Amino acid sequence: MKQKPGFTGWLYIVPTIALIAVFSLWPVVQSMTYTLFDYKLNDPQKSGLYLNERFNTNLFNETALYVSLFLEEDLANIDEPNDQKAVEDAITNIDELAAVYEDKTDVIKISSEERDRIEGLHEQTADLVANLNNTYALTHGENLPLLVDDFKNSIIPSNFTGLSAYKDALGDARIQTALWNTIIFTTVSVGIEFVLGLGLALILNKAIFGQGFVRTTSLIPWAIPTAVAAMMWSYLYDGSSGIVAHFFENIGFVAQSQDLLLSGTGAMVSTILADVWKTTPYMALLLLAGLQNIPKTLYEAASIDGAGKIKSFFRVTLPLLKTSILVALLFRTLDAFRVFDLIYVLTGGGPGGATETMSIYAYKLMFGQTNFGYGSVVVMLMFGCVAIIAIIFVRLLGTNLLDRN
Amino acid sequence: MTIKNWKKGFWLLSIIFVLVLAACSGDNGNGDNNANAGNDDGDGKETERVTIKFGAQNDNTPATEQLIAAFNDSQDDYTVEWDPLTNDSAQMHDQLLNSLTSGSSEYDVLSLDVVWAGEFAGAGFLEPIDVLMKDAEYSKDQFNAGSMASGNYKGKQYTLPFFPDLGLLYYRSDIVSEEDAAMLDSGDYTYEDLFNMAETYTGEADTKYGFLYQSKQYEGLTVNVNEFTSAFANIDTGLEMMHQFTAADFSPDDLLNYTEGETHTNFEQGNAVFARNWPYQFGRINGQEDGVTITTDQVGIAPLPNGGSVGGWLLGINKNSEHIDGAWAFIEFAAGEAGQKIMATEGGYLPGFNTLLDDADVKDANIMLSYDGFKNALSNTIARPVSPDYNKVSDEIMINAHKYLSSGEGLEDAVSGIESILPE
Amino acid sequence: MTTAKKRFLFSFGLIVIAYLFIMVFPFFWIFITSFKSSGEIFGSGAFNVIPDNPTFANYVTVLFEKGIIKAIFNSLIVASTTTVYVIIVATFCAYAISRFTFKGKSILLGLILAVSMFPQMVITGPVYNLFYELGWLNSYMIVLPYSTITLPMAVWILVTHFNQIPLALEESATIDGASRVQTLTRIVFPLAAPGVFTTAIITFIAAWNEFLLTITMNSESSYHTVPVAISFLRTQFSILWGEVAAATAVVTIPTLIIVLVFQKQIVSGLTSGGVKE
Repeated sequence: MKQKPGFTGWLYIVPTIALIAVFSLWPVVQSMTYTLFDYKLNDPQKSGLYLNERFNTNLFNETALYVSLFLEEDLANIDEPNDQKAVEDAITNIDELAAVYEDKTDVIKISSEERDRIEGLHEQTADLVANLNNTYALTHGENLPLLVDDFKNSIIPSNFTGLSAYKDALGDARIQTALWNTIIFTTVSVGIEFVLGLGLALILNKAIFGQGFVRTTSLIPWAIPTAVAAMMWSYLYDGSSGIVAHFFENIGFVAQSQDLLLSGTGAMVSTILADVWKTTPYMALLLLAGLQNIPKTLYEAASIDGAGKIKSFFRVTLPLLKTSILVALLFRTLDAFRVFDLIYVLTGGGPGGATETMSIYAYKLMFGQTNFGYGSVVVMLMFGCVAIIAIIFVRLLGTNLLDRN
Repeated sequence: MTIKNWKKGFWLLSIIFVLVLAACSGDNGNGDNNANAGNDDGDGKETERVTIKFGAQNDNTPATEQLIAAFNDSQDDYTVEWDPLTNDSAQMHDQLLNSLTSGSSEYDVLSLDVVWAGEFAGAGFLEPIDVLMKDAEYSKDQFNAGSMASGNYKGKQYTLPFFPDLGLLYYRSDIVSEEDAAMLDSGDYTYEDLFNMAETYTGEADTKYGFLYQSKQYEGLTVNVNEFTSAFANIDTGLEMMHQFTAADFSPDDLLNYTEGETHTNFEQGNAVFARNWPYQFGRINGQEDGVTITTDQVGIAPLPNGGSVGGWLLGINKNSEHIDGAWAFIEFAAGEAGQKIMATEGGYLPGFNTLLDDADVKDANIMLSYDGFKNALSNTIARPVSPDYNKVSDEIMINAHKYLSSGEGLEDAVSGIESILPE
Repeated sequence: MTTAKKRFLFSFGLIVIAYLFIMVFPFFWIFITSFKSSGEIFGSGAFNVIPDNPTFANYVTVLFEKGIIKAIFNSLIVASTTTVYVIIVATFCAYAISRFTFKGKSILLGLILAVSMFPQMVITGPVYNLFYELGWLNSYMIVLPYSTITLPMAVWILVTHFNQIPLALEESATIDGASRVQTLTRIVFPLAAPGVFTTAIITFIAAWNEFLLTITMNSESSYHTVPVAISFLRTQFSILWGEVAAATAVVTIPTLIIVLVFQKQIVSGLTSGGVKE
């Protein structure tokens, strides 16, 4: 008896759509836009999205102020009257042009005549400074050429690059390594978590003695915030004072306790272990909820048919748990693919890049190097990979998800 | 449900994305640069004093708090407010970056790690202060030279020192012979000499380790590579020397995972003869903090063989601040004689205002300043590369160095990798 | 009981205990560390199970000087607010997806899923700009962007649970004259209780664990949540391990209580929801 939603029915989904649109979709779309530009914050010519040429009045005004100030200060070092006059003229020139843009702030459009005038000013001043530097020892001799260059730099060329950043990314060896690391981390950790989580869920589902205690304690790791758990593990793995590292050395798991975080494999194993520890309870909880939806009568029927415990697990539990399993795996995979805090705190992507995942690399590009253009490309590639995984899962989920029975 | 339908979700994403792109071709690309869209919380109270927000990291000493109180008492126009940011400098960098990118005037005065100044200045986040300095009759040579150089980008000065820092060699004066101590204090020795001394002295007075320094893959490694290679003048010999230390019997097995924390813990528990660390380690030993088993009588300070890297923090003005006058008034006070004296006496920070190095009160509060070895170290500092792309440069340096140091192989690759990324 | 069965139960119990021990050990060790002085945390005393000089100093500092209580309070506010509104919003959406036929249903599900495929770092910048313009920085409005980490999962999990509830019950309720909303609140919601409470726990813990958005939007210490407050327990060069350990122990207690309360509901949901296919 499924119906069409009607007007009030639509109200059911509007809040979700609104929240998703403002706090997820809009930011994501912005990131997508960044990928088409050479968008770098630490370069004034690239610190915005410019489809067409623009003029940075802030930079121009500041440069005009500084160049005339420095030239004035250096007048004292110039003794030829001709040169003195040339400098004075240059200062007048600069002040004149600066007066035009005095009241403007921010980035504006300019006509081609204006542009020619600014470029002319740059050339003249640059020549003058070069000449002066040849003849005299100026106080600001080293700085002036750099400053004068900013006249030219105030004209911002378009930084639209289209899809070329994606092309670069496909050939970037660091991305390939990061992708590989991410895939290994995701498959291994989600795999182990699933097996352990299913086991734990089956235990929790049984009415055993001290069930409440078992449930609560088994959830402890998950209740500790990831950022804190990661700090905890970095102490436990510490090469000289970490109990876990010490234990691994004693049982011969690693030759020396410090190898744990210092060898590529050791570091990967360590991060996976910490992730398994942290998220197995979560996996178990998701599966437990699914287990509780399986009607008891089905097991009774199976046992009447003579099926043993193991047989009924494969015949009854697994098939009926399929949706829960797939949804749990889907969200765990999406989470693991985006792993960040844990690796960032434990290894920072080291040693020598052996645990650098896609999000660590994207983070380093975007926030470390303020290269939001290329960093967003890495994010989009990540999205592409995750989307493929999600499509596979949803295909497996098939009709279970939307149509009942 | 069909898979095709499901995929439409992705298509929808792409369509919205194209629409936004079209909107971008409008006037002003980013659209976030509204200089006037201010946060008026501070002004609405109808007080005469203008509120200046100070974006600075948490201070475990009372110094920053007292500095602000002293400034607020010293004049009637401005009140500085400070809500401590995190001490995790990478996290703080991201936080400031988010705020500054949006064109926000949330903070008027910023505290910056020395290596951020080039990046933030290049991005146009900071207000240059040459003219303001001139009006205040400040000249650059009144301040710590290394800090001033870090805050100078393309000829413009953007910052004054908040508190400078520099890399030092700590040694156990109760173990090292007087002769060797004198040589260390003078700074006239090499890393080979240090290696030999470490070999000789390790084991005396229950020491386990020779020379400790920071070698984990993080900014500290770049700092140490900078020192070993004489500011990247001799990359191959410097890296080889580092590897020699890494592999030496007297080094801890997990030296490649050492940060400042491991270094100070082991040095102050009496486990090491030599250690490279910042001045704060002396403060811990002097204050006999929890876990310290040695005393300052057992500790000497010397310059590092090729000089110590400049670290520390700078004060700059947010270009979008609506109260640039007030921001400057605070910086003028904080970086000047009165402000730096508070920082030095209340927090044990190194003063960034040079004449204070000879001030009796400051020297009383910080006995390290009277050490000859420390004075020599102060006059022998080296800077890390200044670049708007500093993070990228540093990232490549640490990855290449750590790869070589952990395997002992591929020196040439590491050297060429580092050379290719250095700014000229 | 046969001996074979006894033996099975015994080894089964052993496995459970071993598993629990491994799972709890890291936390247990941090608990021990919280009573150590910093001299014992690193160095020769690091492996002592019983500290040589047990101290409560770390707890005193954390509770009375570092404002961890305020942080727990903030965390409780934001995490419970998030849980309540996300569950309400997600329940309606999931119910619509599960019970109505409409075009674009799968598009909606796909879109909801797609947005949870992006790393959080791309969300922070634009949300910061928005909050700055609206004057929402340093406020409890932070719960709204929390939807980006909790809502997609909540909707999906609820959809799978609603799908398992038979339509017949609702049909009879409708015949009895119940409105749509009444059917949802009186019949579907209670029947889906195990799923709803599982989702609630997951949402609560996800909000409780959130770090990046909070530290970016709420830089004022009076709005710090637990993970942010703990990340402040450090100096410029090193982490104050003793205090971190004490704070971790302290903040785990309220979450355990919450989990205990919720998990009772899962059990009761199981028993009362006896009407299954």
